[in-house]
Amino acid sequence: MKRQKMFLKMITASILRRRSRMLVALLAIAVGATILSGLVTIYYDVPRQMGEQFRNYGANMIFTPASGERLTDDTVSEALSQIDSANVVGCAPYRYEAVTILERPYMAAGVDMAEVEKTSPYWSINGEWPSQSGEILVGTSVASTFALSVGDDMTLTYDLGAPEGATVDEAKNGISENVNEKSFSVVGILDTGGNEEDYVYISLEDMEALTTEKGGYDVAELSVSANSDELSAYVDSINEDGAVSARLVKRVTQSENTVLSKLQALVFLVTAIVLVLTMICVATTMMAVVAERRKEVGLRKALGASNKSIIFEFMGEGLLLGGVGGLLGSVLGFLFAQMVSANVFNSSITFHFALVPLTILVSVLVTGLSCILPVRSAIDIDPALVLKGE
Amino acid sequence: MFFRMLKGALFRQKSKMIMIAITIALGASLATAMLNIMLDVGDKMNQELKTYGANITVVPKESSVIDDLYEIEDGSTTKAFLKEEELGKIKTIFWAFNIVDFAPFSDTTAALSDGTAVKVVGSWFNHHLALPTGEELDAGVTSLRSWWEIKDGEWIDEQNSEGNSAMVGSVLAEKLGLSAGDTVTLSTDNGKETLKVVGIFDAGGDEDEQIFTTHDVAQKLSGTEGLLNSIEVSALTTPDNELAVKAAKEGPGSLTPKEYETWYCTAYVSSICYQIQEVITDSVAAPVRQVADSEGTILEKTQLLMILITILSLIGSALGISNLVTASVMERSNEIGLLKAIGARDYRITGIVLTEIIITAVFGGAAGYFMGYGFAQIIGQTVFSSSIEMKPMVIPIVAVLIVLVTLIGSIPAIRMMLRLRPAEVLHGR
Repeated sequence: MKRQKMFLKMITASILRRRSRMLVALLAIAVGATILSGLVTIYYDVPRQMGEQFRNYGANMIFTPASGERLTDDTVSEALSQIDSANVVGCAPYRYEAVTILERPYMAAGVDMAEVEKTSPYWSINGEWPSQSGEILVGTSVASTFALSVGDDMTLTYDLGAPEGATVDEAKNGISENVNEKSFSVVGILDTGGNEEDYVYISLEDMEALTTEKGGYDVAELSVSANSDELSAYVDSINEDGAVSARLVKRVTQSENTVLSKLQALVFLVTAIVLVLTMICVATTMMAVVAERRKEVGLRKALGASNKSIIFEFMGEGLLLGGVGGLLGSVLGFLFAQMVSANVFNSSITFHFALVPLTILVSVLVTGLSCILPVRSAIDIDPALVLKGE
Repeated sequence: MFFRMLKGALFRQKSKMIMIAITIALGASLATAMLNIMLDVGDKMNQELKTYGANITVVPKESSVIDDLYEIEDGSTTKAFLKEEELGKIKTIFWAFNIVDFAPFSDTTAALSDGTAVKVVGSWFNHHLALPTGEELDAGVTSLRSWWEIKDGEWIDEQNSEGNSAMVGSVLAEKLGLSAGDTVTLSTDNGKETLKVVGIFDAGGDEDEQIFTTHDVAQKLSGTEGLLNSIEVSALTTPDNELAVKAAKEGPGSLTPKEYETWYCTAYVSSICYQIQEVITDSVAAPVRQVADSEGTILEKTQLLMILITILSLIGSALGISNLVTASVMERSNEIGLLKAIGARDYRITGIVLTEIIITAVFGGAAGYFMGYGFAQIIGQTVFSSSIEMKPMVIPIVAVLIVLVTLIGSIPAIRMMLRLRPAEVLHGR
């Protein structure tokens, strides 16, 4: 009991009385611990956060009908239920219909604009996304053909097919044309550099009104935030059910894999090198702080302290400093990681509680090890020599 | 006297000075490595992002204007083409060095022996280009379609094959029961070609139902020798900023001469497109938004991430160094007390301590720079399999950082030392 009290007293006294020096040591440890916990948190979170950025490349999975029939809301949502809903960034069904604009044939797509905005974030729109009925998004090449600009009106014509009772000749000559017309106002012009520029996009409701029937979807584009193994697992489980055939967009998934793995390797190596160097820095600082106490070690030895008790005391001090520094570092490191995440990815980071004990453990180990070396060398010499100052 | 004291301190306290030098070297190497990687990560990631394929497509200017004017309905006769002879000009534009890959495409529809129509695409695979500038380049779909999975056989090797080779999409191959080594016969109005199937690919898209072959074969089949349908270009670009957006939206004509010069001489995707249009007659070069825009976002994020990590490690190494310097200066209270006791002035003491530390810092910093070079190369080789370019601007940054950090680290300690009363210090309190 008494020994323990004395031990605690010696440690607290040595820390309190040598405040400025201990502050230096504590600062060194805290900086090391901050870098440790900050970088490890970033290392863990970067793949997830970067993965979200890669969703900018758009859909990485495509649903097509497995049989000849079109996709319906039911089959799509059933297939969708196979995927962890937290990972689904967006699911945009497309319904393509042939329409005519001023007698020229074009393809019109009925889409859920809000979902398309999620699955195709790279669509560059001059104007706005359609948000209500009667608004249309026009591909650049369609717009230039008809000299359309934002704010103009245009009409889509849908051929309902020959009306019942009409003869083939009548239908052919357009005598009893059975067409449905709907007028739209152009709110946006779409520029993608791809095929999309040849289409016009309207909402699903307008498409229903235009065609006078609730048809299914030709294809559904999905943007799923998952790695390639998870994606193939989803695809396999969806294809088993049969109603929907799921495919991965190789261009997006394969490339994402390549680039993301490079990025992860980069962050890993950087983290490793920074950590090793920082830990050595912490160790040298601790060694300098402790080396200066050779005299104290000599004095204590002269007074009859055993080697064991001296090492024990220094270790105790190191433990305390390492613990406090590590705790401080885990908090600061988390704040740093949070700052990085907010600045780079505009999102918050999850706090890894397992990192707190890890950070403390590493700082205690580094501190302890770097204390031992100089203390041991002081113990090994004759106390008289140390006290004399040689 | 000053120099003797300096020499004494440096050599007699060798181990201590070496330790300071090591710490400074570690800090400097960290700063060097991180700064170099940060400055180069954009270029390196840009290269990696090339796996997403071309970011610019060049197509002939629409002939639809003529169609509309004269109401010619049969599009095939008036279809516009690009000229093959102009292809090489792509590598002569201002940003030629940034064009890492490009391939011409010419497609046609041909009939198989059983009469089914398939789309046949002719392109380069690993076409070897020796440019007048001395640069050599292997361009073609082998690198532009890096995500293709070869199910059977291999890529067409243009340099070592006897010609008349083809690669068949996996869906089509399954339909026809083809595998590598078989032959397919394609016929059009312009002739008949028998091709050897070299590989079966899975592209995960429309291309799975097409046949890819070398350029000359496809041109013979379509009867359009010397003409191309489109060119895909993969270029290293700078993420768009306000200027690039303005130029892209309102056309380069809307820029002031000064803005135009900046825009033209920056590797924006829009300026590279513009330069390609300048050299290829009657062409429209447009960025593939899916690739070009996403590239920009990802590059920006990666760079920002590396900048923040660099800042953290710079702060870390700065604090590490100044901490050690503070600790080691404090330790010398006895010596400083003695100097004061025998009548040394404050500025002399400060001068000696600082010079000592700075000399140590210079050696440590120099060693650290080379260590940092090593670390940067290790990272470059392991992650990107290419060396990291060492930017000369890093040297002054690291030098200033080290000097500042050692000075800032020693000043509080020296001030504390100077406040001490010699008698107390020497007495051992």
